[in-house]
Amino acid sequence: MLKVAGGSLATLGLTAAGCGTGSGSGDGTVTLRYSWWGSEDRAKRINQSIALFEKKFPKIRIKTDFQPYADFWKKFNTQASGGNAPDVFQNAIGFLRKYDAKNVLLDLREQAGAGNLRLDGFRAGLERFGEVDGKLLGVPVGSNSMALVVDQAVFTKAGVTPKPGWTWDEYHAALARIQESQGRAGDAGPYGIMYLYDLYLRQQGKAFFTTSGLGFTEADLTDWWTKAAARVKSGVYADPKKTIPAKPKSAVTAELAGCEFTWDNFAVRYTAEGKSSYGLAPIPTTDGRKTGQYLGSLMLSASKRTKYPMEAARFIDFMVHDPEVGKIMGYDRGVPATEAQYGAYVPTDEVGKQIAAYEKQLVESRVLEPITPHPAGADVCEAAFMRLAEEMSLGERPVADAVKQYFTEAKTALSS
Amino acid sequence: MDAAVTSAPTPATHPVPATGPDGGTAPVASPSGAGRPPRAAGRTARPHRARRENLAGYLFMSPWIAGFLLLTAGPMVASLYFAFTDYNLFDAPKWIGLDNFTEMFGDPRWRTSVEITGWYVVIGTPLKLAAALGVALLLNQSRRGQGFYRAAFYAPSLIGASVSIAIVWRAIFSDGAAVDRTQQLFGLDAGGWIGDPDRIIYALVALTVWQFGAPMVIFLAGLKQVPRELYEAAQVDGASPWRRFWHITLPMISPVLFFNVLLETIHSFQIFGSAYIIGSQGNACGPADGTLVYTCYLYIQGFENSRMGLASAMAWMLLLAVGLVTAVLFWSQRRWVHYEEGAR
Repeated sequence: MLKVAGGSLATLGLTAAGCGTGSGSGDGTVTLRYSWWGSEDRAKRINQSIALFEKKFPKIRIKTDFQPYADFWKKFNTQASGGNAPDVFQNAIGFLRKYDAKNVLLDLREQAGAGNLRLDGFRAGLERFGEVDGKLLGVPVGSNSMALVVDQAVFTKAGVTPKPGWTWDEYHAALARIQESQGRAGDAGPYGIMYLYDLYLRQQGKAFFTTSGLGFTEADLTDWWTKAAARVKSGVYADPKKTIPAKPKSAVTAELAGCEFTWDNFAVRYTAEGKSSYGLAPIPTTDGRKTGQYLGSLMLSASKRTKYPMEAARFIDFMVHDPEVGKIMGYDRGVPATEAQYGAYVPTDEVGKQIAAYEKQLVESRVLEPITPHPAGADVCEAAFMRLAEEMSLGERPVADAVKQYFTEAKTALSS
Repeated sequence: MDAAVTSAPTPATHPVPATGPDGGTAPVASPSGAGRPPRAAGRTARPHRARRENLAGYLFMSPWIAGFLLLTAGPMVASLYFAFTDYNLFDAPKWIGLDNFTEMFGDPRWRTSVEITGWYVVIGTPLKLAAALGVALLLNQSRRGQGFYRAAFYAPSLIGASVSIAIVWRAIFSDGAAVDRTQQLFGLDAGGWIGDPDRIIYALVALTVWQFGAPMVIFLAGLKQVPRELYEAAQVDGASPWRRFWHITLPMISPVLFFNVLLETIHSFQIFGSAYIIGSQGNACGPADGTLVYTCYLYIQGFENSRMGLASAMAWMLLLAVGLVTAVLFWSQRRWVHYEEGAR
């Protein structure tokens, strides 16, 4: 009987050992854990890319794991707090400072110096996007930017053609025309999108965040949400009681609204989801010129506790530079960050062409500016912004109350 | 007649008096009692062997004991400590005394979550038990195809807690879906329940009521144990069905009712999965905190906002609240639960 007990303890021991980050085996083969957020479609493309990588580097195996965005970060946070973060993982600007402060992110500079990770050949200075306080915490795989996704049939019927530099007044007049001509709400409702409000603030020389706190006042937000509440009421923005149950389908493809703001690389999804044809329109401006836009990007980061920093760096290098991977991934992760991958993939579908044209126009028209800093706690601020905007739009909370609550929650999030 | 009563299938463990062979009632054998008198004799005769058997028993239990200590007791003690600290999962916990509790009581979202959970328990539990008892009464009569009905009504309890059912539920109660269209037939054009923060909680209530099968089976077992001659005597005295229910059935099954009330109330306080899945699209437990039940908010604070200290304090508060409600229920049973003499 002691044997039995001993056996079960040994099993426990084995299980505990199996939890360690990565693992090597006798023949020198190394296994890296790689996780990302995204859809089934992205998973297919990534698995194809990994197959290529494993062929080229037979001594490195990649074990994958993926979830939708919000679930990904919950799982990652729990893993990282237990000292068990995946060796390589997808990352974004909003999380760099947060996890750097918690000692989770590997400074890839050393690996780059050792020649395991190339930092040349990036478009538009993207290689600097993952830098925080002189450390290289992430390497961009693609760039994206906010855009207005429009249902083209609806816009044509309303006789509206958005042009670069159009103003918020013109945008709202267009929404009203859509509502009048087709009885459909003009926009799904931009009031809860932190990244759009950031652009609106940047047009006025402010920003959503400073390096340590919020970059706007209660009066700013009160103004933005008061106008939004009136527009939800009048039907220019879609009724949240209809758009919420329609999720995960977008309000535009569910034919509840004529357009909505989102990241340009998401446009791929609309064509798959809805019946109409969809296009990208420019961000409205305050002064007829400045959109406040910057290029954002998905990145790849490595864990500070990985046992195989060299292999992790090689894998990141492959995913970022390899032209074959560029062909497989397309614009799924945004427009490819490196010249090699950008050149390898020429979009043939309508949406891909539009995304390429949209970002090309952004770069050429020189509207792009440096990115807004994202202090630790930015992710919690984004979730609270979305939630309180929803409560406000449903009439569950008066605007003044929602604004006050937002500042309370943001203060807590940014100070912890 | 007695044969019919005693041969009916009843679950092996339930705290109800069994019908004795003489037609009266006798207490159910307690688990440690009558079944094993010879073993007690053996223990006094051969103490050495008994000790070895004890050891063997504990060894066999050791996986469970290890699991309990490592995965339940340990974390509980740890969370009690965390409840008094500022702990973000990464940095060492910092002792802050009662600050988590002060913050919790002053937090309007916490009060919202208490309110929603309270409503859910107070509305959902009685409705579910009423449905369970009602259907149990109907199924207690011998009729053809009884086994089928029993299984059919029980099935939702088995699948109801699953993620897929919650997703289906979300679809049924959405704007323009089945429930909404049925309402429109009756001229109630109010839109779906999912997009409305004030009504979505009733979709959750409907889901729990739909799973009345488990308490129903326990009620059925209780109903089978009510001595038939009590009804016969009442019928001879001219008692109406309502009076028979009120004065015979209800007192006789009150221990089962108590058991069900206790179990379902505690269970209701712990609602998480259905609220999280039905309510979360974009914002967790929405819309506008409409499904922000207590455990949901605990989860958000702990895992989304990385405030494990505060989440631990919330967990202990929930434990205290459930403990208090349980104590009140136990105290109240003296007034309304009827035990047969000796069965206590």
